[in-house]
Amino acid sequence: MTGGVLPMPAEPPVAPVMHDVPDDGVLTTQLLAPNWTPSRGWWPLFLISGAFTVLFVVGMTVTFTRGIGSWGNNIPVAWAYGITDFVWWIGIGHAGTFISAFLLLLNQRWRASVNRLAEAMTIFALVNASLFPILHLGRPWFFYWLMPYPATTGVWPNFKSSLPWDVAAISTYFTVSLLFWYLGLVPDLASARDQAPGLLRRRIYGIFALGWRGRAVEWQHYRVAYGLLAGLATPLVISVHSIVSLDFSITQLPGWHSTIFPPYFVVGAIYSGLAMLLMLMLPVRRIFGLEQIITEKHLDNIAKLILVTGTMLAYSYICEMFGAWYSGETVERYSMLINRPFGPYGVLFWAMTLMNVVTPHLFWWKRLRVDTVVLFIAGLLIWVGMWLERFIIIAGSLTRDFLPSSWGVFAPTWVDWSLLLGSIGLFSLLFLTFLRWVPFVPLSEVKRLRYELQRDQIAGPRA
Amino acid sequence: MTPGADNREFPEGAAIRPDGMPRRDFVKLLGASIALAGLDGCIREPDQKILPYIDGNNGVIPGVAQHYATSMTIDGFATGLIVESHEGRPTKIEGNPDHPASLGAAGVFEQAAVLQLYDPHRARRVTAGGRATTSQAALAAFAPAALANRVGATGAGLRLLLEPTSSPLTSAWLDRVRERYPSSRVYFHAPLQSAAQLDASRQTFGAPLLPRYDFTQADVVVALDADLLASGPFHLRYARDFSTRRQRPPRAELYVAECSPSPTGNVADNRLAASPTVIARLLASLLSTVAADPRTAARAIAVDHSASTLALSEAEKAWVSSAAGALLRAGARGVVVAGERLPVECHVAAHALNAMLGAAGQTVVYNASPIVGAGEPSHDIMALQADLASGDVDTLVILQGNPCYAAPGNVPLATQIKAIRNTLYLGMYDNETARASTWHIPAAHFLEAWGDSCACDGTESMVQPLIAPLYDGRTNDEILSVLAGAPDTAHALLRQNWQRRYSHVGDIGAAWTDAIQRGLVMGTQPPVTTNVRADAVVPAHRALIASAQAAPSAGTIDAVFAPSRAVYDGRFADNAWLQELPDPITKLTWDNAALLSPRSAQQLGVTSGDVVEVSVGNQSLRIPALVVPGHADGVTSLAIGYGRTGAEAIARGVGVNVNALRTSVAPHAAIGGRIRGTGDHVELAVTQGHWTLEGREDSVLGITPPPAPSDTTPASSQPRKRRPLTLYEPPAPSSAGFGADQWAMVIDLDQCTGCSACVVACQAENNVPVVGKDGVLASREMHWLRIDRYLSGPPETPSFDTQPMLCQHCEKAPCEYVCPVDATVHSDDGLNEMVYNRCVGTRFCSNNCPYKVRRFNWFDYNDELTPVEQMVKNPQVTVRERGVMEKCTFCVQRVRHAQRDADLAGAPHTGPVQTACQQTCPSQAIVFGSLTAPDSEVAKLSNDPRAFSALAEEGTVPRVRYLSRKRNAGA
Repeated sequence: MTGGVLPMPAEPPVAPVMHDVPDDGVLTTQLLAPNWTPSRGWWPLFLISGAFTVLFVVGMTVTFTRGIGSWGNNIPVAWAYGITDFVWWIGIGHAGTFISAFLLLLNQRWRASVNRLAEAMTIFALVNASLFPILHLGRPWFFYWLMPYPATTGVWPNFKSSLPWDVAAISTYFTVSLLFWYLGLVPDLASARDQAPGLLRRRIYGIFALGWRGRAVEWQHYRVAYGLLAGLATPLVISVHSIVSLDFSITQLPGWHSTIFPPYFVVGAIYSGLAMLLMLMLPVRRIFGLEQIITEKHLDNIAKLILVTGTMLAYSYICEMFGAWYSGETVERYSMLINRPFGPYGVLFWAMTLMNVVTPHLFWWKRLRVDTVVLFIAGLLIWVGMWLERFIIIAGSLTRDFLPSSWGVFAPTWVDWSLLLGSIGLFSLLFLTFLRWVPFVPLSEVKRLRYELQRDQIAGPRA
Repeated sequence: MTPGADNREFPEGAAIRPDGMPRRDFVKLLGASIALAGLDGCIREPDQKILPYIDGNNGVIPGVAQHYATSMTIDGFATGLIVESHEGRPTKIEGNPDHPASLGAAGVFEQAAVLQLYDPHRARRVTAGGRATTSQAALAAFAPAALANRVGATGAGLRLLLEPTSSPLTSAWLDRVRERYPSSRVYFHAPLQSAAQLDASRQTFGAPLLPRYDFTQADVVVALDADLLASGPFHLRYARDFSTRRQRPPRAELYVAECSPSPTGNVADNRLAASPTVIARLLASLLSTVAADPRTAARAIAVDHSASTLALSEAEKAWVSSAAGALLRAGARGVVVAGERLPVECHVAAHALNAMLGAAGQTVVYNASPIVGAGEPSHDIMALQADLASGDVDTLVILQGNPCYAAPGNVPLATQIKAIRNTLYLGMYDNETARASTWHIPAAHFLEAWGDSCACDGTESMVQPLIAPLYDGRTNDEILSVLAGAPDTAHALLRQNWQRRYSHVGDIGAAWTDAIQRGLVMGTQPPVTTNVRADAVVPAHRALIASAQAAPSAGTIDAVFAPSRAVYDGRFADNAWLQELPDPITKLTWDNAALLSPRSAQQLGVTSGDVVEVSVGNQSLRIPALVVPGHADGVTSLAIGYGRTGAEAIARGVGVNVNALRTSVAPHAAIGGRIRGTGDHVELAVTQGHWTLEGREDSVLGITPPPAPSDTTPASSQPRKRRPLTLYEPPAPSSAGFGADQWAMVIDLDQCTGCSACVVACQAENNVPVVGKDGVLASREMHWLRIDRYLSGPPETPSFDTQPMLCQHCEKAPCEYVCPVDATVHSDDGLNEMVYNRCVGTRFCSNNCPYKVRRFNWFDYNDELTPVEQMVKNPQVTVRERGVMEKCTFCVQRVRHAQRDADLAGAPHTGPVQTACQQTCPSQAIVFGSLTAPDSEVAKLSNDPRAFSALAEEGTVPRVRYLSRKRNAGA
C-alpha cells in the first residue's frame, strides 16, 4: 500500500466508484492473479457446467437427428421453448452492450470496472442466442437460405419477413460486440503477456495482444477506435431487440400484434441483462475481493437502472393490456384479458407479474440497493421472470387465437428442458473459462479511472 | 488457309461413331431401358382382362391415371365406386356417379379402403394350426374328396358362417354347396346388423321389405335415432337427396330425436336428445297424435289410444307437437324414419305413420331385401350357437367377418369355435377368429377380387379387381366353389354365373362389358307396393307404450351400442386413416369412450377421460368417459369395434371391446345397466378441445346469435363487404394465359353434416400422413382439411354448427409475408402455394395463420414405410419430408392437370376441376372453380347474400367463402 491510496471524503453521500485502490503495479498483479492459478471452487463449477453442456449437446443431437418433433411444439403452438430461449438470451446480451457502450458515450465513469464482465456476458449470451434459431428450424441444414447470398437459383430471402433481418441484426450485433470486447481487451492482454508466468502463456497472450506496446500513438488510435465501436454498438442495443420484437409484432396474432413491442422488448432486454449481470458480478466481486473496484456505488447504480427499466416494463405490460381492451376487438380482448391471466398459463402470468413488476420496487430503499443478498435474489427472480414473460408472450398467445377449434396447449419435453438448462450450462462453461484465462476486470480502464479521479480531486471535478 | 466445313477442329457429327449409333442415342437408350425395365415389375394387373371405366383402352400409359368401376360391400350392401389407378396400383377411391347408392360420393369407409389394401399387417400366408402351409394343401383339405370323409356324404357335420351377403354369385354357390351337402347349414352374422327392420316389415306388410326414402320430395323428415345422412347403406344418396331438397324453397324441415348427437342431428331444425325410452315415448305419442288427426282419416289405421296417458316432459311435448304438426301439414310429403337398430315396434310405428301420411309410395318406397336369407331367424347367430352346442358339428367354414371378436357377450362363440375340430377361416387378418380356427386362408381385398353384390335397393353391382392379389388372397366364392367340388377362379365363377343368369340377353358379351365398365347392371329392382296389415300396429303400439312407461330405477343407466364412425364394427380397426379420423361429433381419435351427457357426468362426478365402470347383467368393463353436450341423459353410448386382440399392429389395444356387454336378445341397447366412476383417468386424443365460439359467431360462422327467424334470407342481415378497406386495388386478373382463371371455393354450411368423408378423401388424395395417438395428444394431427364443430346454447340442448376448415387461400395471405425464404407464395391464378423444397421450417407461417390450417412435419413421417405401404401414395403429389410445412393446395395437381388439358386444347379457360373433398362430399356442400370462368358457379355463390369470409375483419380476403346456415322459422 504505497502512495496511491485515495483519501476518502468524510461523509460520502454515495459510495465512490473506487476506493482503497493500490497503485498500478500492485493492482495489475492482484487482478491478473486469478488468471495464473484457478481459484478454489473453479474446477467443481467447471465440471458441473460441463455436464450441463453435454446435456445441451445431447438435446441438440436429438433435435438434429430426429426432428423438431422431439420438442413439445405443436400446431397451434409452433414456437415455444426454442424461441423463448432465443429471445431471453439475446435480451440478456443487451445489458452488456448497454453498460459498455451506452454508458461510455454518456461518460459514466462507473462502467469502467464492470464493463468487461458485462461484455463477456453479452458475447456468451449471443453464442446461445444464435444457436437457438438454427436449432429451431425444421431443416436446419438449410439455415443459410435466410441470408442474402448469391445463390445459383437466383432466389433471395423474403425481405418482408422479419427473420432475415433477425439474422442480419444478430450477426451484426455479434460481430460488433466481439470486436468491441476484443479491442477493449488488447491492452490488458498485453499486461497479461508481460506478467504471465512461463513462456507458453506469454506467447499465447502475446499473440492475442497483437503486439500492443502501450505507446502514446497506440493509445490514441485505441481510444478513437473504441469510441467508434461504442458508437456503432449503441444503436444496436436499440435496433437488435427492436427487430427481434418484430418477429412478433408484424404478425396478426393477438398478444403479438402490437406496436408497443420494440421499446417494450428493448427495455425488457436491458432489464433481464442487468438482472443476470448482478447474478454474475456479485459472486465475482465477493470471490475475488473486488469490493474496492466494484463498489457499492456500482450496486446502487445497477439497482437504480433495474428500478427504472422495471417500472418502464410494468408500464408496457399495462399499455399492452389497455391497448387490447381499448381496441374493442373480441379476440384481442380475449387473448390479453382472459387467456393471459386466466388461461392455461395463468399461474405463470401471475408468477411473472410478481417477479418482474413487484421485485424492482424493493430498490426504492437505498439499504436494499446495496445489500448483496437482496440484489442477488432480485436478480434471480427477474432473470427467471423475464424468461416467463417471453414464454407467456410467445407460447401463451399461440395457445388460443382466432378459431376456438384450433386451440391447444404446449407441454415441454425433456429435450426442451435439456436445451434450456444446457444453454445455461454452456453459458457458465464459457463464463468460467473467461474468468480463468482472460483479465475480467479492465485493468487499463480501472487504472485510467483512478488517475482521472485523482486528477479530479486535485483540480476539482470537471464540469 | 480458309477454314472450311471439313477443316474445323471439331466437325459436325464428330461425336457420331462411324457405325451409325450416335453416342448420345446409345446412352439415351441405355438409360431408357434401365428405367423401363422396372416398369413391368410395378404393374400388378390381374391375370384376367379388366376393363377401364370409360375409354375401354387397356393400354397403360405411364403417368396417366386410369379409372375402373367396382363396388364395396358393407354388411351385404354395395356402394358403387370408381377407383383411380396409377400404373396398376389403385391409389384413390371415388363414388360411382351412375350407382344409386353413391351418385358420385364416397363415404369415410370407402375413401379409406385403399389404405387397407396395402396394409402391411394383412395376413400373408395360409396357416394350419398356426403353422404355415400351402394354399393347395388347405384347399385340398376342404375339397369334397377329403371333406366328405369328415362331414359325411350329406354334410351333416358341415356348417358355414358368412357375413350377410346380397351377392347373386355367392347365393348361387351357397346353393351349389347345399346341393353337394344337403344336410349342411348356413349362418349369417354381422354385429351391427339388426333383424328388427325386416321383422317389422314382415309383421306390417307380410314380407321382408326394406324402406327406401326419396328425400328429394320430402318437405318434412322426422328421424328417430336414425343417422340417415351419415351412416347406413344408402346414406350417401340420402345426404345428396336431402341437400338437393334443401336447396329448393320452401325449406325442408328436419326433426331429429336421437340418443347421441350425429351428423344428421347437426343439420336438424329441431333436435331432441332422447334415450331409448324417450324415443319409444315420442314415437308412441306421435303415432296417436297423427292417427287422431282428421287429415289422416282417409288412411286411418287402428292404434292403441292409451298413449295419451303417457307423461311427456315439456321438451318432449313440444317436439312431438311440432313434429306431428309439420308431418300433418306435409302429408304425403312428410316421412318418418326409424333408425336401423331400433326395436321392431319402432319400425312398425314408422311404417304405420308413413302409411297414414300417405308417404308410402311417395317419399318412402319399399323393395324386397336383396340379402340372402333375409330375416330368417334360423340363420342367425343364436341358431348357430345352439347348433354348435349340440356337438354335431365337425367342420365350420367361416367366410370373412370376425365372429370371435364381435359375438355378443352371452354367446360364447370364441370358445365354441375353438372347440370345433376343423375350422376354416377366410379372412384378411390374422385376427381373433383366425387364431381360434384350424385353417386360415388370407382373403382378397375387394380391390383384388372379382365378384358381385347388390345395393340396398337391389341394384346389382360388379366387383372388379384393380390389382392382382398382393398376398394370394381368395374370395368367398372361390372357397365355396372348392367346397362344392368345382374349384375355379373368381373371375371364371362370375363369368359363368353371369352367363347362366343372363342367358336370355342377346349379346351377352356386350352386356358383360357394359356391366363391368359401369360397375353395375341398371334397373334391376322395381319397388313393391305395400299395404299395412290391420292387426299389426296395435300390438306394436302397445309394446311401445310399455317400453315408454318403463321408469328408470334410480342409479341405473341404459347403454346404447353404436357403430364406430371410424372403424365400423372393428373391420377397419387396422386402418390408420380411420383410427385417426376425428369422430364427426366428439372429435375423438384412436379410442372409443362411454359418451355421457353433461348432466349424467355431473351426477356421476366424472369428467372426460375419467375411467368409468359400466356393468350390464354380470358383465362389466372399464372405459374412459367422454362428456358430449347434446347427449341424452341417463344413457351412455358405446362404440363397438375397438379393443381388438388379434395380430393387427395398429388395431391391437386401441380402445375397449364393448361387445361383452351386448346380448343376442338386445344387441344394440341394454336397458338398466349400472355405471360408476373408478377414480382412474386417461388422456383421450381429442382434436378439438373447445366447443364454444366465445362471442365470435358472426366472425367465424357468419351468424349473429340468436339466428334470425327467417326462411330464405341470410341469418345476418348486414350486407357483407367483399373486401376490406385497402390502399391498393388488387391487380385485375389477366384475360388470357396463366392467371386467367382465379380459383376459389365456396362451402355451404347449410349442407355440411360434418360426416368427414372429405377429411379422408383429402388424406388419400394428398398423401397426408398419420401421426398416431401420441401425435394427436400433442396436437400434431396432419389433416389438411378438418371439420370444426361448435356448440351454442345450453349444454343440455345445444345447437350445433360444423365448419370444414382448410387453407383459405387468402388473397392477402398472412403466411406469405412472414416466410423468410419465400417458401409460401401466391400464384397468378390465386392459389396460396407451398414450396416444399424451399421450406426451411421456421413455422412462422403457422403462427401467423389465423385459421391454423398449416401442418408441420415434426418427424419424417414417411421414413419407415414398407414398399407395399408406399404403393398407396398418389404419384401426383409430393411426399413431404421432415421439417417442412404443408397445407391444403386446392388439389393443385388436379388444377394443373386440367389446365394442361385446356392448354393443349387451346381453350381460354380451364375446364371444370373437382377437388378431392368436393368430389366425395355426399351433400355437395363444396363448390370449387374459377371465379373468372364463364357461368362460374363459384362466382355466383360467392356473391350470394349468405356468403361470408371467415374472420373477414382480419383483412385476409380468403378465396374460400362460406355460405351461412339457414334456420327454419319456428322449428
